[in-house]
Amino acid sequence: MSFGSSIRHCECIFYHDWQRTKKPRAGSEEATLPGVTKTSNVAPEKLSLNTSTGVVVAAAEAATSNQQAANDSNSLPFDEEAKLVYGVVLSLRNMVKKLSGRDESFVNYRTSTYKLHLFETISGYKFIMFTDPAATADALKYVLRQIYTGPFMEFVVRNPLITMDSRTSGIDNEKFRTATDKMIRGLSIFA
Amino acid sequence: MVAYGLWVINKAGGLVYQKNFPVPTIPDRGLAPLTSNEYLVLAGTLHGIHAITSRLSPTGSGSGAQVIEGETFKMTIHLTSTGTKFVLLTSLNDGTAEIMLQRVYEAYADTVMKNPFHTLEMPIRSELFDVKINALFSNQL
Repeated sequence: MSFGSSIRHCECIFYHDWQRTKKPRAGSEEATLPGVTKTSNVAPEKLSLNTSTGVVVAAAEAATSNQQAANDSNSLPFDEEAKLVYGVVLSLRNMVKKLSGRDESFVNYRTSTYKLHLFETISGYKFIMFTDPAATADALKYVLRQIYTGPFMEFVVRNPLITMDSRTSGIDNEKFRTATDKMIRGLSIFA
Repeated sequence: MVAYGLWVINKAGGLVYQKNFPVPTIPDRGLAPLTSNEYLVLAGTLHGIHAITSRLSPTGSGSGAQVIEGETFKMTIHLTSTGTKFVLLTSLNDGTAEIMLQRVYEAYADTVMKNPFHTLEMPIRSELFDVKINALFSNQL
């Protein structure tokens, strides 16, 4: 059970999940950057959401998806969850740096139900992965690094059509999504 | 297998006990020395982070963070049923942190809770507690 996202400028720019048991609620349309995710805002019949007009199409379906979401009143809307994740990561990084006195970041933390792994690049991109608590931390750090040097470099950085560092749109690249998906599913630790 | 420090945080998030242990080996630099004010702030931050991490669980409700790993140290958190947090900062290869925290909890119950002059949720000023903690962690010297 895992899902991953990457965050830059306090905005979540990519999200994908594999076996999440409780789906996040649909985020409010203004708060989520268009193109961040295909899973939260779409009612099941209309999975072929055209993400270039992402915001408009999703708003029309908001009525149906909110019905399902209303039952799940404990789970947070996606955009709020993304903000919480970013907040936790930032606070933990500062705390670990303060405690050790050296320029080091935290690597992962574990609770009774999940484990959160962080990989930060020198350019400031944070790759975050949630897994089940038994996952070995070293393997995951390597995996996140591989996502960075593999699909991310290939389909995002080297893509002339994607504006890096954009504050108005997420990374909505089909190739990146499928390549990451394939890579994660091919791992031995993926149950 | 080195313990660097121990914190006890009350249920409101305030630091009630903090102790740094001397680090035996030279290549092991341990943690940076901080002022008591900085420890107070860090304890409050940790309390908040613990609450948020329990909210972020992908499978509905779960516990808060139990182990936080950095690059040179790790933090083990034991949350009691009354909301008190026992935090132990150790080296990465330490596998006995949970057991040590259980023993610290026992020492806390014996010397602090049973002390009629101790005010709950206030800083711990008990010589017996200090003695017991020193005894628990003295084998690393």
